[in-house]
Amino acid sequence: MNPDAAPPELDPVIHGQARLRVMATLNVLRDGDEMAFASVKELLGMTAGNLSVHLTKLEDAGYVRITKTHKGRTPVTYVALTKRGRLAFEDYKQTIRALLDNAGGKP
Amino acid sequence: MTEDDERTASPEELLRVIEEQSTATVRYLTADPRLYYLPWGAAWLVGYTAFFLHYGLGGHSYAPISQMQALAVLMAAHVPAMTIMGVGIARANRLVRGKSRSRGIMYGFAWFAGFAAMYIICGRVSSLLPQEESGLLWAGSLLAVVGILYMANGAMALNRPMFLLGIWVTAVNALGVLLGAGWHALLAAVLLGGGFIGAGLWLRRSP
Repeated sequence: MNPDAAPPELDPVIHGQARLRVMATLNVLRDGDEMAFASVKELLGMTAGNLSVHLTKLEDAGYVRITKTHKGRTPVTYVALTKRGRLAFEDYKQTIRALLDNAGGKP
Repeated sequence: MTEDDERTASPEELLRVIEEQSTATVRYLTADPRLYYLPWGAAWLVGYTAFFLHYGLGGHSYAPISQMQALAVLMAAHVPAMTIMGVGIARANRLVRGKSRSRGIMYGFAWFAGFAAMYIICGRVSSLLPQEESGLLWAGSLLAVVGILYMANGAMALNRPMFLLGIWVTAVNALGVLLGAGWHALLAAVLLGGGFIGAGLWLRRSP
């Protein structure tokens, strides 16, 4: 297979600014850490509904793990990237770099 | 903005979005270094200056401050520093859970255990020493614990400024203990109190 035959395609699940920002946020967490849903929402400035929709799409793709639990009586939701999600995000970044190299021929 | 609009973003823009979001997240999750360095710097500057005025350099006090009063000033100055640190840790625990939190709890316990060990050893031995040497034992032990724990945290988090600060505390402390109580207090006030304030202001400017 010739890698130059077709331009590389960006992962449609991550593509779209909102989900890209969610992935970039969760990718900062260390392996084994989870971020509270409310914190992700505050950091990204999204509504709870909007963030939920994007997280569900990422969860369906197996990129994100969502854990619902309780802190005292208050329900708390935690979010983290799965191993597959981290790999997909790395691939996504590599694809962007490949597109940049293909497009401009710049060094 | 609809998703269709977003899909037209160029690769350059996508990379910029990723970089900006990563930076914003790191800033959101890590506390402002000033919150850690400035209150500790101020506490040491005020506290050890009180000790310096008590001891003096030539064997007589520069101000009518007793050793107990100087100790009270040092301890009181630690209260805001420790409170601010506690609030920062509580905030971090609200945002993230997992291995980082376990790491933080163990590190917090190491501080507690370090101070407890210091209290037991110094409490047992200090009554056998002359007053000035007893004060030096307490002050030197306190900074030994602090220096080692800063280095440990720097090593654990690969945080170079914090590791270097731990070495700085340890070196200044060692030199001060060798020179005696008055010099120890002076060096701790100026080089550690002032040094932490300087580090806090410098770290604020770096991205």
